[in-house]
Amino acid sequence: MSEVVLSIDKLSKRYGRIKALDELSLDIEKGNIFGILGPNGSGKTTTLGIVLDAINATSGSFKWFGETPTKNHRKKIGAILESPVFYPYMSATKNLEIIAEIKSASYDQIPEVLKTVDLFERRNSKFRTYSLGMKQRLAIAAALLGKPEVLILDEPTNGLDPKGISEIRDIIKKIASVGLTLVLASHLLDEVQKVCTHVAILEKGKKLFSGRINEILKETLYVEVGSPDMKALHASLSIFNKVQIVEADDNVIAVKLDEKMDSSELNKYLLEKGISISHISIKKKSLENYFLELLAESHDKTS
Amino acid sequence: MIRLLNIEFKKVIYNKTFWVLLGLYGIILGGILIGVQTFINELMVDVGKDAPIPVSKISLYEFPGIWQNFTFLAGNFKIILAMIVIIIITNEYSYKTIRQNIVTGMSRMDFLMSKLLMTFVISLAATIFIFILGFILGVINTPEVTFLMIFEKTVFIFAYLLELFAFLSFALLLGLLSKRSGFAIGLFFLYYYVIERFINYKLPDDWGDFLPLRAIANLIDTPNTALMKLFGYNFREVVAPQDVIVVLSFTALFIYLMFLILKKRDL
Repeated sequence: MSEVVLSIDKLSKRYGRIKALDELSLDIEKGNIFGILGPNGSGKTTTLGIVLDAINATSGSFKWFGETPTKNHRKKIGAILESPVFYPYMSATKNLEIIAEIKSASYDQIPEVLKTVDLFERRNSKFRTYSLGMKQRLAIAAALLGKPEVLILDEPTNGLDPKGISEIRDIIKKIASVGLTLVLASHLLDEVQKVCTHVAILEKGKKLFSGRINEILKETLYVEVGSPDMKALHASLSIFNKVQIVEADDNVIAVKLDEKMDSSELNKYLLEKGISISHISIKKKSLENYFLELLAESHDKTS
Repeated sequence: MIRLLNIEFKKVIYNKTFWVLLGLYGIILGGILIGVQTFINELMVDVGKDAPIPVSKISLYEFPGIWQNFTFLAGNFKIILAMIVIIIITNEYSYKTIRQNIVTGMSRMDFLMSKLLMTFVISLAATIFIFILGFILGVINTPEVTFLMIFEKTVFIFAYLLELFAFLSFALLLGLLSKRSGFAIGLFFLYYYVIERFINYKLPDDWGDFLPLRAIANLIDTPNTALMKLFGYNFREVVAPQDVIVVLSFTALFIYLMFLILKKRDL
């Protein structure tokens, strides 16, 4: 069994009558690229705030590296919570020196991390002169100081323009390839889908799902077929026991295939039935579809 | 401890407001302490013209009286230092850097300790400033300086250090409570000049001595200069143990309240 880096046990947080977090349990293992997904206000930042000691939990507990959390664990964690935060009247280098002091890290790493996020040239500019994208990159540089074992990024692309988003994404991919444990909270589904290996989906402080992203995407593989004779196609497909019709309209029918089936076999079957095919394509159901399904399900339950 | 103080120094070293206020404090206080003798003597000459009894010139700068004179006068300017302390703590909230400090690996107690250390260093620096100025002016103006004379009443220097640290701890508490500098400074002035005076006015005799800022001010009483004697006043020339105990208790209470606030509050 692999090593659990962060273990969250029935964590709850109340703000007056509002439950921001409702008995959330979660395990994050070493080497995971773990996405925490959820709409705004679903408890992502609250969860990360609690495990980083910025927010006090109402009840429940959590462990870092299997131990009761202390400040020394946080020194091994690089984190950005919400918007980038630094002393505006100080340069990037001076700001990072403070972070290095707190983390008991060497100043020697500062040029290195600044280069990683492409801010080395602007290292002596005051923080307040930075654009939002640069501020966000500096926050990532700060998180990388002290060679952390775990990196926590909360909405790292929030408020950025497309160029800024792709820059941050490149940096994340670069970091992820080193083998760090990475926790990424986001409401942007395709961001999570692109980089994460595991995902937890939250809504209103409750966990709707957690597991490998592959599992979600594998089980939701489906094929779209179209034919000039849609009636015959529909009839043939509905009697075929190795597929299941998911969706049908005037132009295409979407079917879910049996595990051992593949699209060429489906093609062969339809040809044998004498149905000509004008369109066939394999669709991976995106995380977005799955996410929306889950949300709809949870709404059905509650309403 | 050294590491925490080092972090604090890094935070203030590029902070212009910090240096402007500190410079202002140094210049105003230094100017007044150096000029006060001339000012009072001018005043005495004026008073002396119409006085029925002869008024002699007095020296504020002679050992050992200088220590009480200086620390008493300087006590009126500690409000500037309080503003510095308020800015140091409220900046962390307005920039949200307190959150980043904790997330990065400071414990909440480290954070409180770093601010208390900074407050103490400011108090100590201001005390040393008064000591050096007093020492120089004292040596120049005392006719026959003896070693004993210089150190006879240095208890006032220690009382001054306590006065500053207690007063600035109160400022730190208000800053931590309100999170915003303007609000904290307003609250401070309101409490200092209005609320506590009103409470004192309403309380029975002597009870007011147990109010925090009044107790802090009581540590060093008005010096007995010839002028004061002229008007028939007789102030304490010692530091009263009761005041020291009251002030120390309040300081401990302020620190404990800060500890509770930081522990309970979400950042």
